[in-house]
Amino acid sequence: MTAGKLSPSAIQDAPRRSMVRRRLREGDLLLRLVALVVTAGALAVIALMMFDSVRTAWPVFQNFGIIGFLTGQEWAPAFTVYGAWPFLYGTVLTGAIALIIAVPISVLIALMVTEILPPRIGQPVAIVVDLLAAVPSVVWGLWGLLVLVPVIRPFERDVAHSLGQVIPFLGPPTPGPSYFAAGLIIAMMIIPIVAAVTREVFASTPRLQREAVLALGGTRWDVVRSVVLPIGRTGLVAAILLGLGRAIGETIAVTMVVGNNPLVGGSIFSPGYTLASVIANEFNEATEPLHPEALIALGVVLLGLAIVVNGAGLIVRRRFERSAGRGR
Amino acid sequence: MAVEYLALLKPTSRARRFQANLIVFLAAVATLLAFVPLAAVAGYLVSQGAGVINLDFFTQDPPGDLSATGGGIRNAIAGTFEMAGLATVIAAPIGILIAIFNAEVGGRIGAAVRFFIDVLAALPSIVVGIFVYTLVVVAQGHFSGFAGSLALAIIMLPVIVISTEEMFRLLPRPIREGTRALGLTRWRTYLSVFIPTALSGIFTGLLLAISRAVGETAPLIFTSLGNNFFSTDMSEPMQALPLLIYRNALNSAYPAARDRAMGAALTLVAIVLLFNLLGRWLVASRRPGGRAGR
Repeated sequence: MTAGKLSPSAIQDAPRRSMVRRRLREGDLLLRLVALVVTAGALAVIALMMFDSVRTAWPVFQNFGIIGFLTGQEWAPAFTVYGAWPFLYGTVLTGAIALIIAVPISVLIALMVTEILPPRIGQPVAIVVDLLAAVPSVVWGLWGLLVLVPVIRPFERDVAHSLGQVIPFLGPPTPGPSYFAAGLIIAMMIIPIVAAVTREVFASTPRLQREAVLALGGTRWDVVRSVVLPIGRTGLVAAILLGLGRAIGETIAVTMVVGNNPLVGGSIFSPGYTLASVIANEFNEATEPLHPEALIALGVVLLGLAIVVNGAGLIVRRRFERSAGRGR
Repeated sequence: MAVEYLALLKPTSRARRFQANLIVFLAAVATLLAFVPLAAVAGYLVSQGAGVINLDFFTQDPPGDLSATGGGIRNAIAGTFEMAGLATVIAAPIGILIAIFNAEVGGRIGAAVRFFIDVLAALPSIVVGIFVYTLVVVAQGHFSGFAGSLALAIIMLPVIVISTEEMFRLLPRPIREGTRALGLTRWRTYLSVFIPTALSGIFTGLLLAISRAVGETAPLIFTSLGNNFFSTDMSEPMQALPLLIYRNALNSAYPAARDRAMGAALTLVAIVLLFNLLGRWLVASRRPGGRAGR
């Protein structure tokens, strides 16, 4: 995840330019050839797989129309009716819930590690936070199903019967498994990613400006407010996008706590479904006509969503790195 | 003049000090908050899973019926290692070569490959499962351990490329200049200098990639599917720890299935942590060239 942190090193480029005219020796030619063939081959195979998935899903898009499929409200394999809307809705909603919970916590963790704790303590803290990412999705799901959902059920019920009476979006039903439970689990899973990117962003803000603020008698909060946050803003956007990119792809843990209900739920406490979780849950039992193709079509939609969100995140991060690199 | 300097040295106002303390307090709370789920999961797994684990748990296969007691998870452990092992064999050389390509080739093509690898790293693993399903499983006509390995290899590939590339980039300047000064060809440089020097770092990337692949469930659902018996035949469906946990967890109303899921989850987390911490320890203890480039 730390690729591209240093700009492609000037150390390496400068001498190479002076040797451009030097004849490549056979070994070098071979190395380049092998590296080129392997790289091109691996990328071609993966591109072929993408193409093949789209091709497999094509009858579904043809049958319902791309827009029709995306906005279709009904998912009824028994009647060969397939609409992606309930799942798109669930993916976006659970992703949003996860971001609302995870981003403030991650930013504060990044501040704690880079600005407040001395490196000797900050480093181990960062590693422990990173370990959250090492817990397999299925283990989060197991814990979520048997511990988290029962624990948050009374809370869901309380909110639904107080605030929820005024705001239907927070109202009942509150069976336990819900968009909210899924969002909460996803939040725990993306905190390490958002925190790691944010940490790098904060660490790369220029030292001179920080010290200037401290020299003027500023507090640590002044440093954060007037240097770290303004300069790191673009990087923060990248961290959020990359976190969202991870959130929409979370599958198994979500499948176990989201409630598996192929309808658009009116409340965040309703049971629902996401793109990834319906694929995981229905694929092995998909025997109705067009059902496997429709699930693959959902996968293609998820692929598109992931490429857009992550691509945007990567581009924004690269832009931030370039500007931060100049500032140093 | 002196008065102005004194004004700067004056202690900050109470409101601003409060603000500064508040942010420290909030940051500390947030950090502790992140530790809660980790501690909760770890504590829960140990308390629920440790009692399940004994020698039989590792040396016997599960009963065909999820609700039946007894048996172990031998087939799942074996399947996980078989598939992760083959995936490593596929992904490691390709990943290292792509990293060399990225380190050597700049310009638009290099940037495009790097971007592709970054996107691949962030791709939902379930989508990778679908890829392999449509290309391999459909073509073969059945699920197989090989298809599972391929899916895991695709998931490991970007992790290996990114970490290896980073290691090449972090090589200290004197080493780079030394290879130039000696007039080494590029392939010699990589073979005799860069790869050996960066080896512990490359190994770390491998271990982290394995620790990620071992915990993946979603891509295996469409590729290796899982089974109930011990198998070393990669051309047949193959069980894996995450698959076993998933299926048993969904039937956790049965005490036997629940216990099996807990024991297997504890085992899986132990394996993942082992690879993960081993990798981190390696890179921490032997960063190429010490303070290189950081």
